[in-house]
Amino acid sequence: MNKLIILGLAFMISYLSFTEESMHQAHEGHIHGALVDGSNLDVDPERYKEFMKGLENCQIAVVSVIGMVCDFCAQGIEKTFEKDETVKKIDVDLNKGKVLIAYSKNKKIEYKEIEQKILSNGQNATGLKVININ
Amino acid sequence: MGIKRTLLFLFFICGVIEARPISYSGGSTVMSNTDNMRDTLYYHYSPTYKYSLGLEAIKDSYFNTDYSYFRLTYLLNRKNTRFSQRNLYFQSGVSSKGLNNNFIGVHGDWETRRWFVGFGYKKVSNDIIEYDDKFLQLGVAPYLGEYGDFHTWIMVKSKKNDLLESWSTLPVLKFFKGNFLIEFGYNNKTEWDSHMMYRF
Repeated sequence: MNKLIILGLAFMISYLSFTEESMHQAHEGHIHGALVDGSNLDVDPERYKEFMKGLENCQIAVVSVIGMVCDFCAQGIEKTFEKDETVKKIDVDLNKGKVLIAYSKNKKIEYKEIEQKILSNGQNATGLKVININ
Repeated sequence: MGIKRTLLFLFFICGVIEARPISYSGGSTVMSNTDNMRDTLYYHYSPTYKYSLGLEAIKDSYFNTDYSYFRLTYLLNRKNTRFSQRNLYFQSGVSSKGLNNNFIGVHGDWETRRWFVGFGYKKVSNDIIEYDDKFLQLGVAPYLGEYGDFHTWIMVKSKKNDLLESWSTLPVLKFFKGNFLIEFGYNNKTEWDSHMMYRF
């Protein structure tokens, strides 16, 4: 009986995982600001505008993250990055799966370092774009 | 009702559903659980996101005794996708009453921001008896809040402890905001089943 229950749940989880993913892929589009090189930023424009308020002479890391499903994920990421003194501001967008990090201009932003910090929280980074703000 | 009285009330009604048995690296969690079998207070620390170590104090109403568990939880498997996370954990505990008093089990969940499916299975041994304790849980979030908002989940939980006769199913409400989560359900057979968690 126990094995049947576990098998049933495993099947249900796989099925739900597939349908949820398909549904979001069908609805999502690249709707937000393009970078100079033509690639798409895919961030929430209002959120991005709010984040940029008061920021100058810094670099913005736009990190794509998978596995962020609740506030606890977001809190962990915030706490991890806030330990870095070169981080001026951070914002986690659960809807878009994006983490915006404003670094000091002198910081050398490395994808490996960011990927490791995200992983230490239990999620995975899948991409990074860096924007310079003067 | 003052804040202290509110918190005391929440602690009193809190119960069994073990959300997030491991925190982020360096994170700590305090959980309080209450159901018809026992009241527990559990603290765990996660050196990495892969495992947590903790101490759980238990007031066992069924066996009319008090004891503690030293607990280890290990993340066996995690799959992150853009909109979901799936986890499978191994859980174990050794009691302050001796090595013969212990439990092992698995705990799994899959969740998106909208849906939640979870299950747990424990084999518990003590000086008197061995028994199984298991649950299934399904949930849906009626609305999707932003990070930092007040979040609500509507859930159904079914559980069975071999010491009792049959499965019991109860509706569960879960609320969380910031570092704080509370979950409670009720049915007339098993009465209150509740859980509270604070992460820091």
